[in-house]
Amino acid sequence: MNSQHRVLKFTLISIGIYFILSILDLSFNFPVPAFRKVNLIADLVKSPQIKDSIVVVKEIPVSAKKDESPSTRVFEQFKAPKTIIRFSADTNQPALQKFLPKLMALKSGTKQKLRIAYFGDSMIEGDLLTETLRALLQKEFGGSGVGFVPITSQVSSFRRTVSHTYSKGWEDENFRNTTKGNVYFSGHLFRGKDDWVSMTDQTIRDSAAILEKSLLCGPVSEPFSIMVNGTAQDIYPKELFNRIPIRKDRSRNLRLVVTDDRLPVYGISFETDNGITVDNFSFRGITGIELNKLDMDFLHAIGEQNPYDLMIFQYGVNVLFRPNDKNFSWYGSKFQSMLVKMKKAFPDTEMMLVSAADRAFRYDGTYSSAVGIDSLIKMQANIAFETGMAFYNQYETMGGKNSIVRWAAEQPSLANKDYVHPNGRGAAKLGNFLFEAFLKDYYKYQKLHPKS
Amino acid sequence: MPVLDLDLLWQQLLYDPKNPLLFNNGFFVYFFGLFMLLYYIFRHKATVRRYIFCFFSLYFFYKASGYFVLLVIISAVVDFLISNAIAAQQDKFRKKLLLVLSILFNLGMLCYFKYTNFFISLSNDLFATHFNPLNILLPIGISFYTFENLSYTIDVYRGEFKPARKFSDYLLFLSFFPKLVMGPIVRAHDFVPQINKPYVINENDFAKGFYLIISGLIKKLIISDYITLNFVNYIFDDPSRYTGLECLFAVYGYAAVIYCDFSGYSDIALGIARWLGFTIPTNFLSPYQSSSITEFWRRWHISLSSWLRDYLYIPLGGNKKGGFATYFFALLFITGVYLFGKHLLGLSVLWSGVLTFFVLLIFILPALLKKDKTGISTSFNLLSTMLLGGLWHGASWNFIIWGALHGIALGIHKIWMLITGKASEKLNRQGWYKAIAIFITFHFVCFCWVFFKSADFATGMTMLHQIGYDFSFSVWPEFFDNYKWVIGMILLAGILHAIPDGLADKLIGRTGKWPLLAYVTVFFLFVLLYGYFKSAEQVMPIYLQF
Repeated sequence: MNSQHRVLKFTLISIGIYFILSILDLSFNFPVPAFRKVNLIADLVKSPQIKDSIVVVKEIPVSAKKDESPSTRVFEQFKAPKTIIRFSADTNQPALQKFLPKLMALKSGTKQKLRIAYFGDSMIEGDLLTETLRALLQKEFGGSGVGFVPITSQVSSFRRTVSHTYSKGWEDENFRNTTKGNVYFSGHLFRGKDDWVSMTDQTIRDSAAILEKSLLCGPVSEPFSIMVNGTAQDIYPKELFNRIPIRKDRSRNLRLVVTDDRLPVYGISFETDNGITVDNFSFRGITGIELNKLDMDFLHAIGEQNPYDLMIFQYGVNVLFRPNDKNFSWYGSKFQSMLVKMKKAFPDTEMMLVSAADRAFRYDGTYSSAVGIDSLIKMQANIAFETGMAFYNQYETMGGKNSIVRWAAEQPSLANKDYVHPNGRGAAKLGNFLFEAFLKDYYKYQKLHPKS
Repeated sequence: MPVLDLDLLWQQLLYDPKNPLLFNNGFFVYFFGLFMLLYYIFRHKATVRRYIFCFFSLYFFYKASGYFVLLVIISAVVDFLISNAIAAQQDKFRKKLLLVLSILFNLGMLCYFKYTNFFISLSNDLFATHFNPLNILLPIGISFYTFENLSYTIDVYRGEFKPARKFSDYLLFLSFFPKLVMGPIVRAHDFVPQINKPYVINENDFAKGFYLIISGLIKKLIISDYITLNFVNYIFDDPSRYTGLECLFAVYGYAAVIYCDFSGYSDIALGIARWLGFTIPTNFLSPYQSSSITEFWRRWHISLSSWLRDYLYIPLGGNKKGGFATYFFALLFITGVYLFGKHLLGLSVLWSGVLTFFVLLIFILPALLKKDKTGISTSFNLLSTMLLGGLWHGASWNFIIWGALHGIALGIHKIWMLITGKASEKLNRQGWYKAIAIFITFHFVCFCWVFFKSADFATGMTMLHQIGYDFSFSVWPEFFDNYKWVIGMILLAGILHAIPDGLADKLIGRTGKWPLLAYVTVFFLFVLLYGYFKSAEQVMPIYLQF
């Protein structure tokens, strides 16, 4: 028997029922979200109900009322892309008031070291962003060396700025597995028993540069012997935090062996006597409030032994872990208290807050910026405003709303398809933007303080 | 009450680059309904039916890729004219000249749209030229219909098939909408004779067509899309952020994705064709159950592998002889292996030479074992076929590497067969041997998918590095907790893959005629399931490596 009529009947009956159900769904708002997603006529009609199903991203007003007061206008500066700001009514004033005089002195030939600590999460892991920022700052203002490198790292094989191998035995106490207050800015403290680490700085352009390699470690109760490049060397670190220069030569390599787990080790730093050092302190998955765990005494010891001229904090993406969150006050107060603590511990250090970058979720089948991103950025700006720190809007710098979606779609792409992480190319772009923002701020300072 | 918006309706009828027509668009439902109605009404009038079919197919193409539909029409006109000229031409030389013209036209079009930028970057790398890449969009389906054109004119040239006399027959063969975007690659001698046959289908066709359409939709729209968006894309995008366990599962996940995507589309095409009274040969036969790589290529994308066999492998010389092309490709390949070892793997001159020697040995050994020198050209013909087959999938080195790996594996399998001889036939009957062989074949295929899917060679190597050097089961509980739905989908893909083609036929044959209501119910269950997964909250990537 010919069954062609069955095909036709099936097709017409199914489409007919589908069509009627679609109309009824829009007319009576069926409580079946799964059906609304496949409604056959939703694309063809104007219907007030349809909008209900779509996640409408509401603009979060900066203030409920249109407030034109000077303080509001000053606060509004936070929306500026590619600019470091300090919420000052006088926009001719540079933002990095403590840091820029040192930078200018360095540029005009004064021999000195300027050290920058860049704190962040997976967004800067593997030296992303900081790699570019470091290279550009060192090219402009002098200096060599990759800065701080932790003893082990899960991304060591992919970090381009250091060739890094190590033995498997290193014990790692970190933000995730300990509440101790001495895990350093990197969030890690290592102990080795006949363990080795070998590093080669891959950032050096000037082969004549004299590179100082220092061991960063905690205290031991009696003199201690380590092996450096195959030779035994005695050290006796007594402070809560110690920076011990162990080699100073043209070599870019260092191999360290620690035989005894009494020595708490943080990492090795590669620096030159003059110029800029940029240390990358990335810890995957954190929000920055983990730094609150560090003891005040420990922080003071860092300040004395290993002072920083500028600290940059870039967090926030891990606060946005649910697509529909809009309220982050649980996080804001803790993050602010961490920054206040850091300011207190390092009173002479310039501090800057970098906002979270754009992050997208899938809403209704398409990716778009997290609905909470505006309120998060605004909260971060507010924290910078209240703590008196400089602020840099990474989100607007990327291009604002949906920029991560555009970055991921670009050819070649600038971001990963997790719609969270800019990739190597994207991070280099962000590093460039930040460097240009530094220069912009620097020129403001230069204009106000012409060389005499 | 919803109000119809005429503007929106009008826009729906036009091509929208952001929303090209696929089987999952709401628009397709209307399209198909109207088409079926007209097809049924004019079922006894072959000419009208054919024109309707052509119009709907071309309109489908327009909705899927805009004005590129003109390329289909132009290539249909050109090949229709050339093939008729070939058939009419008695002079052998002129016949050949016409064939060359057709090949140049079709390959020229394919090369321009698909490979121009690849060759530009190749020239920039090798000869330090500074050509800028061109802004060329790839027309949908071009790889498929170009191959169909080629097989058609070559068949006519070989005298295996008389060219279609009516242009609309040929146009329909080329543009037949169910197979337009992703195949299968249909042969004219199979398809054209079916066009003007009376429209007759039996209950079995209806049931099997329905089964193929629904299972194809589930494979493509639910399983493949879900695993891709919620897992595979994250990992392959930046494997260095993930542990070896996640990377390994991403490879399994991708094996499921590419199978479900490709075979799902083929199944839908086969199912719709069946409903319309056409039979298209099966394209996938549970390929991951193959116990050797040779068998894999008999079960995976059959329409492509048989096309490559008939129109590339055999003209190259097949298993009989070698020609200029054989040794030209062999030389290119051997040079390529050496450069690959030296530059991509970073080996020294010596080690790269050793690698090249061993690869060369794979292709020479069968001839030595059999004491038959035609074996060398056979091996190289097979390799050339795999290399070009790889390149067909996309204009990138990764696809060539993928093709080369398969070519080498086919060579190794041949040696294995020669060494083990009859013993392997006996072994093959042993359950444990077969299980091991399937396991090895599947994992080799997965290994090759790493390069197929990765954006570039370095990403592929990172993926392998993570699996090899950063593997730990300790992250399993968190991994499972986060990705349980994804793992479930991979398992579901495995189950669907395990259903043998014959089983569905048997079941359909036994259960007898189902009432129409049962079909409608199953269809709506699918619609709801699709809607559910469309609205399901996305699975976030987690970073397990601390």
